[in-house]
Amino acid sequence: MSAHSITLDDLPRDGERLDLAKFSKLNGLMFILGALGTVISALYLFGVFGPDRQAQFAYSWLFAFFFYFTITCGGIFWVMLQHAINAGWSVAIRRLFENLGANIKWLAFFAIPLVFSPPIREALWEWIAAHREAAAHAGAGESLYDSLHHMAYADPHLHLLVAKFGYLNMPFWTARAIFYFVVLGALAVFLRRWSIQQDTDGKFSHTFRSRSFCCLLLLPYALTVTFAAVDWIMAMDYSWFSTMWGVYIFAGCAWSSMAVTIITLTYLRSNGYLGKVVTEEHYHLMGKLLFAFTVFWAYIAFSQFFLIWYANITEETRFYLTRNTGGWWFVSNLLVWGHFAATFVVLLSAGRKKKPVLMSWICVWILFMHVVDIYWLIMPERAPSLTHGESIWIDGAVWGDLFAFIGIGGLLGWATLRRLAKASLYPCRDPRLLESVTVKS
Amino acid sequence: MARTTLKRVHGYLAEFDSVQDVYHASEHIRDAKYRRWDVHSPFPIHGLNDAMGVERSKLPFFVFFGGLTGITIAFLLQYITQVMIYPTVVQAKPTNIFTTPAFFPVMFELTILFSAFTTVFGCFAMMGLPRWNHPLFTSKQFKKFSDDGFYICIEARDPKFHQVETKAMLEKIGGKNIELVEDEL
Repeated sequence: MSAHSITLDDLPRDGERLDLAKFSKLNGLMFILGALGTVISALYLFGVFGPDRQAQFAYSWLFAFFFYFTITCGGIFWVMLQHAINAGWSVAIRRLFENLGANIKWLAFFAIPLVFSPPIREALWEWIAAHREAAAHAGAGESLYDSLHHMAYADPHLHLLVAKFGYLNMPFWTARAIFYFVVLGALAVFLRRWSIQQDTDGKFSHTFRSRSFCCLLLLPYALTVTFAAVDWIMAMDYSWFSTMWGVYIFAGCAWSSMAVTIITLTYLRSNGYLGKVVTEEHYHLMGKLLFAFTVFWAYIAFSQFFLIWYANITEETRFYLTRNTGGWWFVSNLLVWGHFAATFVVLLSAGRKKKPVLMSWICVWILFMHVVDIYWLIMPERAPSLTHGESIWIDGAVWGDLFAFIGIGGLLGWATLRRLAKASLYPCRDPRLLESVTVKS
Repeated sequence: MARTTLKRVHGYLAEFDSVQDVYHASEHIRDAKYRRWDVHSPFPIHGLNDAMGVERSKLPFFVFFGGLTGITIAFLLQYITQVMIYPTVVQAKPTNIFTTPAFFPVMFELTILFSAFTTVFGCFAMMGLPRWNHPLFTSKQFKKFSDDGFYICIEARDPKFHQVETKAMLEKIGGKNIELVEDEL
């Protein structure tokens, strides 16, 4: 028991505003790195370094894009979950998740090359190249589907593509990509807008409206993330499938966004913000959720591996065969021991979860492991796809990965910091604020 | 002729009116460095552990080794039978240390089982269970503890226990109906 329990009078009425001038160094650095990375990325994307590098960079761009996409989706998920289950403890930190989720507008912009640039998407998704070829061969009055069917006589591998034509075709695929960003964008924008409106008018109706909105849209959200993962990552090899895929990606989303928020929170607190509003109890609660999703990820990852390992279906085992060959074997093991085992043991103790600085370092490790996870999902496809199975690694392509990663990351970091300064750092007139500030776990 | 029985003092039982009273009394007893005492209340009181100064349980320490035993037994059981004694090759899958993923479900289950057993039986051992009767049940007023009464009992085996001083302290911190509970030998 503290000597004096906090009441609403101890908190500033209009919330706390981030003073951007205090962070000008970090903000400038992130902008410069982001702009530099994006400019170099643009050169790659437009094929200035040649078509080979362009095709290799397509994978770099997808990797960087998808890494930040998972974090953003995780931000949206936490806001939705907290509204839907009427969580009281999380009010003080909800604005951070809202600001994280609002990055989705930027990501829609970064997704343009992936969805609309033919050389990029054909390097990534073999089925798109096959469809283009089929379209070119189509005779007069012959549909794309018929043409693909004819091609499948010559190349039996394409039969699978004919069978999946109803789902994997360009118009539907493009429409889905747009649909994902519309749904996620609406979620992020509306939830953040209503929350900020409540800061000024203090109406309870915002809380109730957000709650029903989230309850209704949790299912569409889940489908959106699942199908985005299927369309962009799983479909890189159109013959491979896993029904655990969406859940696997979602586990990473929730995990990494919680880690980002804990780091942000500690950084803000070390600069004198949110000192009274957020206590170590919040760290404990967030740490518990982080721990839960560590276990959840491991559970899903193992289930996926185990079912495929036992069933031994040729198309399915290829995924793990690639990732257990050569250097990728070490990366797979790094995930088992680093992503799960080490994180599990470190997060087990309640005392450790209550130490902000220690927790932030654990979160840095967690983010690193999430980078490895996403890299491991995408990159083993690159060399076999581009060299038609002749090599499992392309030298020099890793530079592209680095530029794309820094480019998107820098710009998103810069945008997030600016967004943090645009409104109070916590929902200052949320009806459950006091409950959150005085929470005990 | 009335039979005389040997009796042993169990401790002092004091009733308190409200959660607040019992909470602050607990803080007081904690600060007075009593060790063998307990609070009885009809419902859980949030934060009482801190007020009583209850130390962290040693049980997790034992549970960890329980789980470790479970995972080791599961691994050895499967490794010895499936790899060393009678390797079954299915669809060219390996039978060596890389077979371990196939063992995971059993390893997981036995870890949980052994941890759970250690938790339950360790808990019993540390609480001194099972036992037939508790001396506090000889007190008539104690029945209220499961309905609307809040009680604190300071036991005689506490090194700081003193017939006069302990009673005086309980009175001072607001204890009502203070009763010396005796246990029949």
